Amino acid sequence: MKAKSFLRASSLEEAYKLVKESPRNKIVAGGLWLKKGNADVDTLIDLSLLGLEKIEDKKDYVEVGAMVSQRELEKSPLVPEVIREATKAIMGPAFREIATVGGSVYGKYGFSDIITVLLAHHVELVFYPEAVITLDEYVKKPGFYDGILTNIRIFKDKNKAYFKKVEITALDYPILNVAVVKGKEYKVVVGSRPLVAALCENSTKYLNEGGKDFAKAAELAVEELKFGDSIATKSAYRKQLALTYVRRALEEVSK
Amino acid sequence: MLVKFNLNGLDVEINVKPGEYLLDTLRNYGVKSVKKGCDGSSCGACTVLVDDKPVLSCSLLTAKVEGHKVMTVESIQDEAAALSECFSREGADQCGFCNAAFALMVHALKKENPHPTDEEIKDYMVGNLCRCTGYQSQQKAIKAFLGGKK
Repeated sequence: MKAKSFLRASSLEEAYKLVKESPRNKIVAGGLWLKKGNADVDTLIDLSLLGLEKIEDKKDYVEVGAMVSQRELEKSPLVPEVIREATKAIMGPAFREIATVGGSVYGKYGFSDIITVLLAHHVELVFYPEAVITLDEYVKKPGFYDGILTNIRIFKDKNKAYFKKVEITALDYPILNVAVVKGKEYKVVVGSRPLVAALCENSTKYLNEGGKDFAKAAELAVEELKFGDSIATKSAYRKQLALTYVRRALEEVSK
Repeated sequence: MLVKFNLNGLDVEINVKPGEYLLDTLRNYGVKSVKKGCDGSSCGACTVLVDDKPVLSCSLLTAKVEGHKVMTVESIQDEAAALSECFSREGADQCGFCNAAFALMVHALKKENPHPTDEEIKDYMVGNLCRCTGYQSQQKAIKAFLGGKK
């Protein structure tokens, strides 16, 4: 990566002003993917001094600062167990100390485990200067949001949850991941297809209207989503995996 | 740009490029124990400690360590030597390329969880690859070194 300057922003206002000035000014979260992307940047804008590395209990939800590392997320007792476990399965601890939750979410990466597991929960994203949108809205919206992601709100809900990541080796990108939550309602999410995670709306609707046939719910999920090929595997195999793991997830959360 | 941080107990000021990563900074500064393996956050050979936490130096911008404490294996030499003896006893040592990073990981694990189970050791070391030995011998050596739980 090439960069002309590095700025430790002293306020969100300062960071936002720079981002608006030029698309070549980039926010640095952990910095892992800027390197992979071979970016050519004017100013790298670091948010480390802005107090965005806290996880706080806000009564109805847990608020996770965008600069919280994946490692802190997995260790926090405030965060739902299934989210912690999904995070813990990403690479090694030395990677997760650098990678941030905000960077993982904002990037809409097609291989993301964190987006998949968060999408199965009620999650809102807070952007500076003044937007609050659901994670589902953010993922569906093409491109990136015009603002700086500052916080991720994970709403509290008594639920049973399941997450499964399928990978060829322990440090590989997942070839599929599945998250299912059964709280007041069901939510079925499939990611790493290798497209960014998506809520399976037909499958979720079927279940929330009383559907009990989990194999059928899995078929609905596979029918409504796009699956693609990658160097690791073909779409047909991903579909077979999704059929199996969505059904298995529903059986698990319904016990 | 000038970045100031504490390296192995000494305050240093190093001139770096704004997009430079810590691995290159340290190696250019002469700290060759920090290894350049994949240079893509996959192998763990470049692990160092920043404020006692293990990080991949190939993936951390040097500018981000301003004001922080960076440790390489040079700062834990006695502990690394003791771990090395355990590695030798278990045949967990061949080319040695990954050893410095392993020693730093074990140092961090010991601080965080002094009596890890086998599974906890495995989870902690999963990001550090060794192409010589396989991992059972290292698992045994680390367990012996830490006197870990079953």
